Amino acid sequence: MTKLVTPGDKLGSATQFKAGKGAYVNDTTIYASLTGYFQIVSPLPESLDQRAIVEVTGHKAHGLIPEPGSVVTARVTKVIARMASVNILCVGPKAVREKFAGIIRQQDVRATEIDKVDMHQSFRPGDIVRAMVLSIGDARAYYLSTAKNELGVVSAESAAGETMVPISWTEMQCPLSGQTEQRKVAKVV
Amino acid sequence: MEYVNPEGLRLDGRRFSEMRQIVAEIGVVSKADGSALFEMGNTKVIAAVYGPREIQNKSQQKIDRALVLCEYSMAHFSTGDRRRQKNDRRSTELSLVIRQTMEACILTELMPHSQIDIFLQVLQADGGTRSACINAATLALADAGIPMRDLAVSCSAGYLNSTPLLDLNYVEDSAGGADVTVGILPKLDKVTLLQMDAKLPMETFETVFALASEGCKAIAERIREVLLENTKQLEYRRGAA
Repeated sequence: MTKLVTPGDKLGSATQFKAGKGAYVNDTTIYASLTGYFQIVSPLPESLDQRAIVEVTGHKAHGLIPEPGSVVTARVTKVIARMASVNILCVGPKAVREKFAGIIRQQDVRATEIDKVDMHQSFRPGDIVRAMVLSIGDARAYYLSTAKNELGVVSAESAAGETMVPISWTEMQCPLSGQTEQRKVAKVV
Repeated sequence: MEYVNPEGLRLDGRRFSEMRQIVAEIGVVSKADGSALFEMGNTKVIAAVYGPREIQNKSQQKIDRALVLCEYSMAHFSTGDRRRQKNDRRSTELSLVIRQTMEACILTELMPHSQIDIFLQVLQADGGTRSACINAATLALADAGIPMRDLAVSCSAGYLNSTPLLDLNYVEDSAGGADVTVGILPKLDKVTLLQMDAKLPMETFETVFALASEGCKAIAERIREVLLENTKQLEYRRGAA
């Protein structure tokens, strides 16, 4: 049975424990900094500091952030000669609280013939794409990549306004007008 | 005018060390990250907290800590006479004072490159608005899950008819006696805010200050109860053990 604590409650002594998430050290005492349940986590066997970690888990899930290597779902906002700008909407299965800007560069669209990529035949504004985060990038945007079979456009609207059906890894067809449009399509299993 | 009658009762029937009734509720503004309604007697205040979120004005950003912004405003219907425009001196001063109090309490070093917005709206003003605002802001910050050192609580006390009085209402405040507002971090036993109007001899000041601190501790207990109750309710609704 774990105890409920509020900010300022004493959790233990800093000589015996280490302050984890939701806790902080003042002088030699560990205090809670969040409202929630407090628990003691045993340290990893290979860590140098063998003190147990005191944590407080709050109820508000804080800001999910894209990490390098995670698969994200994003909407394309702008397509220019050598890159596409996207707004990251979900990280994995969870939606993010505030939008993050992302960029898919020409060389990261696919794995083969990367210098012959035509951005306008890979993405269009409004497409929903699944991409992988390459790195945190610069101050303006995350760097993303769609250079895998299962990454790329998952949903797109045709010129007629209907959601298109994927035909191959380069084409999608509109069910209403029958027109095919070029995209870098994700192989959704 | 008699503010404390010979039997020791004040104008609203309270004794000298009695606080007004407190009503505290969390989550009243669902769009905000954290929010609270705090009432001390007839003084009603709503606090809404947004953050930590991406900094909006890059020139103000702090590299190693979060930026705390606070805005205090009174609704036009909050007092009898229709309020003057928003940026009057009192509102600016109170915004600054409350911001400094909350900034000392929030662990800003954990959230660099971000900002935390605290909005305070007084719905009904009957004395002690700055204390009610600080208490409401603490509840709202705790609701938003923003890490804090302790719960910053505040209470006011005065001195009328040779008696220290706890938690002054508007009539007692306007009487011309001293009004001491104290803000403390109860578990760490530190003072974060100390303001006084008018003058008091030193020994009297110490008595009034001690009375206000006692009031603060009682409010802290109440705020703690409200937070624990709210967490239990959330767990129950989520169906967790």
